[in-house]
Amino acid sequence: MSSSPVIEVIDASVSYMIRHGASPTLKETAIQSLKRQSHDVEVKALQNLSFSLNPGEVLAIIGRNGAGKSTLLKMLARVLPPTKGRVIVRGNVSPMIELGAGFNGELNGIENIALYGTLLGRTPKQMRQRAADISAWAGLDESINLPLRTYSSGMVARLAFAIATDIVSDLILIDEVLSVGDAEFQEKSKLKMKELISSNSAAVLVTHDLKAVKEMAHKALWIDHGRAMKYGDVDSVVDAYLNA
Amino acid sequence: MAEVSMSKEIYDSQARGKVFADTLKAFWDYRELIILLVKRDIAVRYKRSLLGLLWTLLNPLLTSLVLWFVFINIFSAKLPDGTQFAPYLLAGVLLVTFFIQGFNQAADSIALGSGILMKIYVPPQVFAFAGAVSNAVNFCFGLFALAFISLITGDGISLFFPATILVIFSMLMYVTGLGLLVSVAYVRYDDTRSIFAILISFMMYLSPIFYPKEILGETMLAVVNANPLTSFLDVFRYVFSNTGSASWADWAYMGGFSAFILIIGIRSFAKAWPRIVVMM
Repeated sequence: MSSSPVIEVIDASVSYMIRHGASPTLKETAIQSLKRQSHDVEVKALQNLSFSLNPGEVLAIIGRNGAGKSTLLKMLARVLPPTKGRVIVRGNVSPMIELGAGFNGELNGIENIALYGTLLGRTPKQMRQRAADISAWAGLDESINLPLRTYSSGMVARLAFAIATDIVSDLILIDEVLSVGDAEFQEKSKLKMKELISSNSAAVLVTHDLKAVKEMAHKALWIDHGRAMKYGDVDSVVDAYLNA
Repeated sequence: MAEVSMSKEIYDSQARGKVFADTLKAFWDYRELIILLVKRDIAVRYKRSLLGLLWTLLNPLLTSLVLWFVFINIFSAKLPDGTQFAPYLLAGVLLVTFFIQGFNQAADSIALGSGILMKIYVPPQVFAFAGAVSNAVNFCFGLFALAFISLITGDGISLFFPATILVIFSMLMYVTGLGLLVSVAYVRYDDTRSIFAILISFMMYLSPIFYPKEILGETMLAVVNANPLTSFLDVFRYVFSNTGSASWADWAYMGGFSAFILIIGIRSFAKAWPRIVVMM
């Protein structure tokens, strides 16, 4: 195995300008700029973050709502480029962020396996070969041939989780997905995550479940208002967060 | 050891590639996804409709029928050297449908796909291109209807009809480029959609879809000829059933302008996207 880290975040920041008195239309924007009323406000979503993650390591990101956890995860998912600094990700990424984005209600389970898997960078042919196993793991039985709009939200989440974890990727990004489904499925998905991590995948875990953090993570990053408050071993970061 | 890391895909946020070449490469790399998206598009559109795939043919046929009733007496005598009005009209309607719907879908795809684009890394341009391709497929279905109408009205089909592929290819570049060019505005501002709808309908009326160019005065003829859509229509009618005429200038304008718009669209999209995506 290559020893280079899966993730390197070097002094990365994400900021953007919002126009005060938000104007969703071109007309209003034009009028405002003519009247010179507009004053832009800079939002600093993430500020000067630096960390790295090696294969087989799990990093937990903790913090209050709106601290920038999801923004950070999007940055690691390559969806959001940093406005300053640098992000390097080596290998393929399985993003488990709001599972099921990309599903289509009119298509059946099998067709959605092909579509979602292809969105994640695999080929339709690979996905068709894996469809039976994926469906079995998600416990969908005959429902797999029905349109997705007939599924319960739990079934959709199980299917999405099964597809996303079907292959071993170099990096898994997890946003609260361990809290979907019933208790039995939560246990099953935690086991699956541990299995993937032991096969040398790196993972970044965003969750409010501090018990899961202590159970699964090797290190933790606490962020608040987009800034790193503490970064290091799980126990000391969680303790600092709880005492804040 | 080196080989392992060589085979891995490496994302570096600071890497700056060649925007245009990289986007075209993405269209190729994501071809399986594009095919799936097009299939999904067609399947979803027709799954719940009674007429199914026939609707693709019926829609332009009915539009043409209405226009035919309204304009047959006014325009058919003005068409050059015995060209029949029905295939002339249908060819125009089919190509303009490809243009308008392709543009709309390409432009909308980014805003509609934002749910996916914010969570899974897929180059957003791929969604715009897939929207254009799916309308190219619709256009190809329509060609069967056009062939039928051309044959029964006596216009016939030209031996050069396979060259229609070049018209399709140019239109793909044109609508993908235009779609990318405005898609960022669609994401950002709610009212841009109606502004562009008006501009697009201008372009439509300033091209010879249902009227022959022969009825135009000198000034209007110059305006209509400056519209790239006119070159598309001239070339398409000429290669498909050898009606009217298409000069080399028409070919060059069709291909050149489309390529130009595609380059502009891809470049401006790549520039604007990082600023838009943080606000989504």
